[in-house]
Amino acid sequence: MIELREVSKTVMSGSEPLTILHPLSLQIERGRFLAIVGPSGSGKSTLLGLLAGLDAPTSGSVSIDGVDITKLDEDRLAKLRGEKIGFVFQFFHLIPSLTALENVSVPIEIIGGRDARRRAATLIEEVGLTGRAHHYPSQLSGGEQQRVALARALANDPPIVLADEPTGNLDTTNGRHIMALLRGIHQRRGTTVVLVTHDAELAATADARIVLRDGRVVETIDAGAGRPFAVPSDAHQGSDRHAAEPVQVESE
Amino acid sequence: MMFVLRMAARETRASWKRLIFFFICIAVGVAAIVTLRSVIQSVRGVFGKEAKALIAADVLVSTNSAWMPDARQTIEHRFAEYDATEWTESVETPTMSRPADGRAVARMVELRAVQRAFPLYGTVGLEGGQTYSYALLQQHGVLVRPELLTALGLKVGDQLSIGQAVFVIRGVITTEPGRRVGGFSLGPRVLIDYDDLPSTGLINVGSRARHVLLVRVPEDRIEPLVRALRLDFREQYIGARSYRSTDDEVGRDFDRAENYLSMVGLVIVILGGIAVSSVTRVFIMQKIRGIAVLKCVGARSSQIMAVYVLQVVALGCAGSLLGILLARGTLAAIPVALGSSTSILAEADYGLSWSAAAQGSAVGILVSLLFSLVPLMQVRYVKPSLLLRDEPPPRRRDWARLGVMALVSLGLMGVAGWQAGSLRVGVVVCCGFAALAIVLQLAGRLLITLIAPLAKSPSFPLRHAVLHLSRPGNQARVILFAVGLGAFFVIGVRSLQGSLLQEFSIQISEDAPDMFLIDIQRDQADGMRAFLTDPKNHAGQSRLMPVLRARVTGVTGRETNLETFEDVRARGSLAREYTVTYRDHLEANERLVDGEFPSSPSPDPEVSIEKGIHERFAINLEDTVRFDVLGRTISARVTSIREVDWRDARSGGFMFVFRPGALEQAPQTYIAPLKGPADVAARARFQHDLVEKFPNVSVIDFREILETVRDIMSKVTLAVTVVGGLVLFSGALILVGAVAMTKFQRIYEAAVLKTLGANTRTIAKMLLFEYGVLGSLAGIVGSLGAVALTWGVSRYALEIPWRIFAAEHVGGVAVTAVMVAAIGVLSSLDVLRHKPLATLRAE
Repeated sequence: MIELREVSKTVMSGSEPLTILHPLSLQIERGRFLAIVGPSGSGKSTLLGLLAGLDAPTSGSVSIDGVDITKLDEDRLAKLRGEKIGFVFQFFHLIPSLTALENVSVPIEIIGGRDARRRAATLIEEVGLTGRAHHYPSQLSGGEQQRVALARALANDPPIVLADEPTGNLDTTNGRHIMALLRGIHQRRGTTVVLVTHDAELAATADARIVLRDGRVVETIDAGAGRPFAVPSDAHQGSDRHAAEPVQVESE
Repeated sequence: MMFVLRMAARETRASWKRLIFFFICIAVGVAAIVTLRSVIQSVRGVFGKEAKALIAADVLVSTNSAWMPDARQTIEHRFAEYDATEWTESVETPTMSRPADGRAVARMVELRAVQRAFPLYGTVGLEGGQTYSYALLQQHGVLVRPELLTALGLKVGDQLSIGQAVFVIRGVITTEPGRRVGGFSLGPRVLIDYDDLPSTGLINVGSRARHVLLVRVPEDRIEPLVRALRLDFREQYIGARSYRSTDDEVGRDFDRAENYLSMVGLVIVILGGIAVSSVTRVFIMQKIRGIAVLKCVGARSSQIMAVYVLQVVALGCAGSLLGILLARGTLAAIPVALGSSTSILAEADYGLSWSAAAQGSAVGILVSLLFSLVPLMQVRYVKPSLLLRDEPPPRRRDWARLGVMALVSLGLMGVAGWQAGSLRVGVVVCCGFAALAIVLQLAGRLLITLIAPLAKSPSFPLRHAVLHLSRPGNQARVILFAVGLGAFFVIGVRSLQGSLLQEFSIQISEDAPDMFLIDIQRDQADGMRAFLTDPKNHAGQSRLMPVLRARVTGVTGRETNLETFEDVRARGSLAREYTVTYRDHLEANERLVDGEFPSSPSPDPEVSIEKGIHERFAINLEDTVRFDVLGRTISARVTSIREVDWRDARSGGFMFVFRPGALEQAPQTYIAPLKGPADVAARARFQHDLVEKFPNVSVIDFREILETVRDIMSKVTLAVTVVGGLVLFSGALILVGAVAMTKFQRIYEAAVLKTLGANTRTIAKMLLFEYGVLGSLAGIVGSLGAVALTWGVSRYALEIPWRIFAAEHVGGVAVTAVMVAAIGVLSSLDVLRHKPLATLRAE
């Protein structure tokens, strides 16, 4: 389970502090598919970065499976990411000097896993890129690169996959393909997926949605419960909170 | 660990092309170290093979005057006591030689008269496979060096006059035991029979001859014999040394030469290191996203650092290997270059020395590692959040980085100290480099500030060129340093050469004497005066000066008291043999500093000392200096201190000048500075006629010496220019590397400018201006450095007037500017060729 308590993020814009995420509490149960939605600059990616320990919050804490990751040093955070979190980015962020297969095997090698090559080859096959394994990123199309990135995210079979606008840089067909793969992974492996997108249509396919605007949660929707819930102003009173709800949000 | 190894291999595979300059820079430096060390070790090997042949004996006893009977008795007694099995005598003296057929040429030679047993060790090598035997010398035979045959137009079988005797040339010497390599010599060696020496009439009282006894003794008696002889003759000028001490001495010379030359190599490697540092910095900047991705998928900073350190080591190894191959090629070319040279240098095998290769590689790898560590520290600043949002790295004092910088500095000092064979020299070289770097950096920065107003120039390409020099991430500073350093070496050395040559030319200008006659005997003085004033000999103004050879054996004075010759010897050069004179006036090149110069004779010995003697040995007015003048002891009171302008050779230069009255009766000879005939043929005729009439007199022709000096200097200048050229080449490599590393940014900028309407011509002009300005600045930095260098060296080391050679400086700046502009533009051709749309789409 991922749990955020009163997490906020303020950065310096020139000499002025700028709050890009206002205090927010959130629980994501294992095996959920959550979409974080909002326009550009609403704080979606910042929230994702905090969930993954890529970034440190200005206040509050983030726990993954009961471990407060804000108290971990860089090396422990790296270890945690290697073992528990897979990433998919809008701009793929493959390492250009490595082939598709090597890009996928790197996370396995980092944690000292066995059979890195074989496992990477299986994943490459799973995302439908057999025959492209030895190509460099520059020799692959955008959709193919994103599938490699997805395979890399799954390399260590992590319980959590975080996807930052994974279709944002793809055409519709490739975008659908990637989403289908993500959903398949979620369903087959029971992986927790947190998807950041500004596309409402994509977000609608998730179990639950959080809508951000100007660094604040303006709406939470649980598709499983079939109703909107938790507008920020009264969310902290818990009026819309459901004890059994897998996604719980508090925001000021 | 597997991850680190695999990633390092993958990264190297992917980026070796971009890092090719990295290992070329290292390779050039390593090649320099390996070649220089191997050459010295090869040459040393030739000496090492026959250490005894170096002095042609086990023990060598020598003196600069004829053997006194009692000294000779003592020596022979010692020989018997220490079981000497064999000894032989030889005499060496510089003298004139000339063809016996009366042709008007003459040449100074170094004559050596030897006996049957010579050499006790080693052998005299002769041209054409001829074997040396004493019989070749008997009955007025002579063996000569090939250069004498060329100079006099003679061949084997011809006759050669030396002194009053005529010899038949029976062979040509290629190697000779007992001759130091690289030692200064007045002329080519000539070998004759000891028994024929008297017939030449060269050995007179006061002649410059070295009398040598070569001895063979059992190995265990060598050192005791040397010690006993030194004790016997501690108060006399008879020296004894063993082949071992010679070996040690030569060994030390070689050590020094090897270490000095490898410092030259190290300087090149350090420049390579600077290139490595700059390449690594840009490389890491380009890898930032990849590093962020690795951190994102779980890699620790230390793991990523390890990947790049391993890559650096791999490239350092590759560079070193390439360097060794380059050295191998260079070494193979040396025997070809030496051709049929008969020099002892041609005897070396010039193989690759494995110890040199190991040292070179170690230095290459260490320097790669040391110079890349600090830029690699940037890996730690890369945050994985960079993949979500661009944000600048936090600016704070990084103690770890400062610590690594300190360690790297210590490491470099260690490497330099190791290479120089002295930690002190290592520290001095590193500090010198750092100081030079700071000065060149400051000068570069100042120049960039000075040209800043050009950023407002109406010319678009010039404006951008100037702006590019101070934009973030530009390589201007490192290029200014590396190229500037190369220009500094080349311009500085060439200016110094010009300065020195001009200085020598001044010395033999119109009115100055350009010939020196030495060893004129007392009974020849009147005849010589008559000869020199005879109009048909065309000699200019001349005069004879009496000279005596003397040694200081003691000093009694206010500050300095030296009781025995042992004490004097402890003062170093004070114990050497001085040529002294006596006269009642100061010469034109002298100035009285203190006391009074005598104007009349006195029977009480008085002496005037040179300022240098006064300063170095604290000998003052009214002190008493005890001299040994060819066996006679003379105690002279110091009555004046003079300063001699050593640059003005017209009247010679004497450290000690006696008051007339005390030395007239002592054995003495005369020297005569004179203005020789002007044209070459008349000079040759003059020398020939003079030697014909006065066979024992030697002629030193300044014009010939000037030619020799010019020749030696052009060789030295060539050597240093080659080193400077290598430095410049390293600078060019850094430049190419820097252009290659920033090319992607350039291509993008060019694409943007092209879409905004700039054509290829404008962009080419921008590049040309940018690199032209950079090259000019580097040239100016080098030229300014050279001005400082020539000023310092002229003023403090050579003590000659400081001159500026405008042509060297202007030419140097122009060549550097053109070179940098050409390399810059040629390495950026890609920038011009790329289509803007493709570039922008890729972004």
